[in-house]
Amino acid sequence: MLISYLKIAWRNLLKQKVFALVNLVGMGAALCAVLLLSLTAYKEWSFDRFHEKRNHIYQIVNEKVQNGNTSTMVTNSVAEPLAAAVKAEIPGVKHTSYITGFNLPVRVGANVYYLHTQFANRDFFNMFSFPLVKGIGDEALRELNQVVITEATAAKLFSKATDAVGKSIEINVRGQWQPYIVGGIAENIPQNSSIRFDLVARVESDPYYNEVKGKWDVSTNPLLVELEPGVSQASFEKQLNALKPRYYAKAIQEGMTDFTFKTISLNDFRLDEHSYFFGGVNKYYPWLMVILSALIISIACINFINLSVARSLGRSAEIGLRKSLGAFNGQVFLQFWMESFLLCVLALVLGSILAVFILPFYNRQFSQHIQWEMLQDVKVIAGIIIIFFLITLLAGGFPAWKISRQHILTMLKGKMNINKGNYVRNSLIVVQFVVAVILFSCTAIIWQQLNYIRNKPLGYEVNTIASIPLDNATPAVLDNMKQRLSQFPDVKSVSAGMNNFGIGSDGNSGNWIIGFSFHGQMLTTKFQRVDYNYAGTMGMQMVEGRDFSKEFGTDSSAILINETMAKQLRVKEPLGTMIDLGPQGNLKVVGVIRDYHFESLRRKIDPLIIGLAKPNDLGYLFVNVRTSNPTATLDKIARLWKEVNPLAENSPTYLNDNMRRMYEDEHRFSNMLLSGAGLAIIITCMGLFAVTVLATAQRKKEISIRKVLGASVSSIVTLLTRDFLVLVLIAIVIAAPLSWYFMQKWLQHFEFHVSVPWWIFIVVGAIAILIAVVTISLQSIKAALSNPVKSLNRE
Amino acid sequence: MIQLQNITKYYPVGLGRNFILKDIDLTINEGEFVSIMGPSGSGKSTLLHIMGLLEEPSEGQYLFEGERVDKMNEKKRTQLHRGSIGFVFQAYHLIDELTVYENIETPLLYKNVSASERKSRVADVLDRFNIVAKKDLFPNQLSGGQQQLVGIARAIVAEPRVILADEPTGNLHSDQAKSIMELFKELNEKDKITIVQVTHSDVNATYGNRIIQLRDGHIRS
Ligand SMILES: Nc1ncnc2c1ncn2[C@@H]1O[C@H](COP(=O)(O)OP(=O)(O)OP(=O)(O)O)[C@@H](O)[C@H]1O
Ligand SMILES: [Mg+2]
Repeated sequence: MLISYLKIAWRNLLKQKVFALVNLVGMGAALCAVLLLSLTAYKEWSFDRFHEKRNHIYQIVNEKVQNGNTSTMVTNSVAEPLAAAVKAEIPGVKHTSYITGFNLPVRVGANVYYLHTQFANRDFFNMFSFPLVKGIGDEALRELNQVVITEATAAKLFSKATDAVGKSIEINVRGQWQPYIVGGIAENIPQNSSIRFDLVARVESDPYYNEVKGKWDVSTNPLLVELEPGVSQASFEKQLNALKPRYYAKAIQEGMTDFTFKTISLNDFRLDEHSYFFGGVNKYYPWLMVILSALIISIACINFINLSVARSLGRSAEIGLRKSLGAFNGQVFLQFWMESFLLCVLALVLGSILAVFILPFYNRQFSQHIQWEMLQDVKVIAGIIIIFFLITLLAGGFPAWKISRQHILTMLKGKMNINKGNYVRNSLIVVQFVVAVILFSCTAIIWQQLNYIRNKPLGYEVNTIASIPLDNATPAVLDNMKQRLSQFPDVKSVSAGMNNFGIGSDGNSGNWIIGFSFHGQMLTTKFQRVDYNYAGTMGMQMVEGRDFSKEFGTDSSAILINETMAKQLRVKEPLGTMIDLGPQGNLKVVGVIRDYHFESLRRKIDPLIIGLAKPNDLGYLFVNVRTSNPTATLDKIARLWKEVNPLAENSPTYLNDNMRRMYEDEHRFSNMLLSGAGLAIIITCMGLFAVTVLATAQRKKEISIRKVLGASVSSIVTLLTRDFLVLVLIAIVIAAPLSWYFMQKWLQHFEFHVSVPWWIFIVVGAIAILIAVVTISLQSIKAALSNPVKSLNRE
Repeated sequence: MIQLQNITKYYPVGLGRNFILKDIDLTINEGEFVSIMGPSGSGKSTLLHIMGLLEEPSEGQYLFEGERVDKMNEKKRTQLHRGSIGFVFQAYHLIDELTVYENIETPLLYKNVSASERKSRVADVLDRFNIVAKKDLFPNQLSGGQQQLVGIARAIVAEPRVILADEPTGNLHSDQAKSIMELFKELNEKDKITIVQVTHSDVNATYGNRIIQLRDGHIRS
């Protein structure tokens, strides 16, 4: 029986090539998109699932409320003694480990490598499922000078990787070479791990660690804890916060911002933006990808349904006959579903082939790392099969169900009436266009927002300033570099700061928040330290006062503030005001800078205080250049930097590149959406084309009679086009408010954003109508031009 | 074999009813060859459809081989279609996408007949109707008479007890019609298959051993 069904299905496909092709190509492209998008989403969600204790491991974070207003701020680092306190005083804490990652130079003999180094505690390997191939668990980190490296790193550093254990290496920690010994070798880190390292060293071996040891008033490192299986996250958080008054009261009194402890589960490390290991992907994006694939596949399914129903009209006699020969409804259903299934399988094959071909392009375009190895996962395969089955059931099942329930006699007489007034078909077409229009207008608005971001003046120059990540260059190297740069004809001026602008080649961004009391009010502020001549170099405007300058010699006790801070001080004359910043000292305001966007446009401008840095504090060198060839100049600076600091890992970048990197997520997403929207439109139009082919075929006789009666070609084209255009118009009316709503929500992520322009819907609507008209006309003009006698004679 | 008692069929029209068949009492015995005649619109096809369980009577009782079938459920009815009742239609109704062989095989597939037996039964029928040479052709490659031959072959391959034929020769030339009628006669006499046919032709009607005249929904014998 099944063979017979398949035979019929196959012959039917060959007979109706247009429909087979539309379905095959549409469904194939949609399945390809779904495959790639859902693998992307799955990949995000599958992060860190390989850790056996993933349900018991948490990162402790601090949630700070800012300046009495409603916005909160989450910071990662906690005070050093907290680990011991937590372990001693909260029952059910099994292990704790600090963790901080740096890219550090590592020396083996005369060779220097840059390795991604995590400083952690001995418990690290007890907590996480990073199996050791050499060495046993925490024994590998028993001594302070022991490190664990990955297999890949071992292969890179040593000629014989297996002999690495016991070998000596040196790590450049905070500018000094320190000797270490390899204590163990770990398996390479799985692709889907948030925690990444080439090397793990003991956090206690960081010279800086001794400075903060035992201090409750400085927060330096993120802390991870593993709880006993029975202990819940909520109860742990509660007990954690109960510790706070005892240990932090003094620090808070002295100016530390008050906060609440929160915990983030290992399961959320990747997608929670507050986690130390946040992967940079907004946690809603995987969901959006799933939604996007659902939309695309539903458009393809709608084509499938409309075409199957229309096609089956011509087969009503066959169905009636089969029933009279003794076919159950179920068997008829099965037959028609099988036909769809066959087509879907072909589409899946096509889609998979397509996916294989565009995968490299997809990965590059959207900065993804999808690999087909993911398909070795039984769960993924099972998921794909189940979803595929559901799709065939949706696409083929509905028409098959409709067909199989028809009464035998009406079928035999060829009077099948599945689509009364074409309501089902028309509503489905409306749905398709709603989706297409929504995708299109959302893309247009996202694109506008990104454009706005690109062009918005930030309050400093972005095109002429190069930023050099200092990695761990020593102050001497820094001085040398400044010296050399000043001899450069292209260089206008040079300064430096603790924080970068945007995201540079090192991928870091961070900030420092401090609280202080001023005239009886508690204030919080972002705090930065910078070098002399900062505002001038960055092209910032002074509202009043002056920049840091060597000429005064007293600037180590001076600060700059931004306008927002000045407003919060609520003093008549901010200049000369003394601010007691506790551990940072009692400092005098010497300048007020016009507000500038030191953080992303997603945030509003926070209060900011800028102090003068000691050379050790500086993280980035800023070079303002005057050049007609920015690329060449940047190359020259890069070469100079490499010469001055051979250990440099990250290269200089212009701030405008850094800005772009900061919004990369949005860029990637808008590109994805744009591709999705394009695909949706194409599939919708293919469906619309095929449906018009069928509809005009059904009305052939009517058209011929009208022509014989003297109707003009244009009036017939109008007649055929009008019905469908109404559908498109309805779709636009439905889609516009929905897109407006979605985009309003999305724009909320940005403190600074465009307002949704009303005309965008008119433009998108006009484009949709234009595309629809062209598609329909392809067929209807042909029908209108055809010789009426021919089709009348055939009747 | 077929017992119709007070069979009435009507369609609602406005507030009233449009009667197609009224109080039909009719018994057809096993082995009979009955021809139903009457003017167009008199309800011949409707009567045949009711006999073939393609349509339900509005009122009355229908016993097929002594069993009430007028209010039978879908499943049992389908079983009768598989085993006991064969149809021959005026418009041939072959499946265009299947070859002659496959068309004839289809009822056996629904009956779950084993592959080897299917093969031998289809071969027998092809042989008997002299269409072995055509077995791999598609319906649109056959003449009308040949198509109807295949239609009949398909009707008898499942070895039904009754064949219901609605104007089986309506679309054929008189020569072709004659050979079809002779085939029916042979099936009736040799294979003891009960045959009920609807026909407009007096000549064709004489092949049967009983003629039923239908007029305005009533039988005039
Ligand atoms: N679904 C229906 N609704 C209303 N009336 C119907 C329906 N089907 C059939 N009829 C009516 O029933 C009557 C009998 O139809 P039927 O097909 O049985 O006639 P017939 O005797 O086979 O005619 P012909 O010789 O032309 O085939 C006709 O008048 C027809 O209009
Ligand atoms: Mg009739």
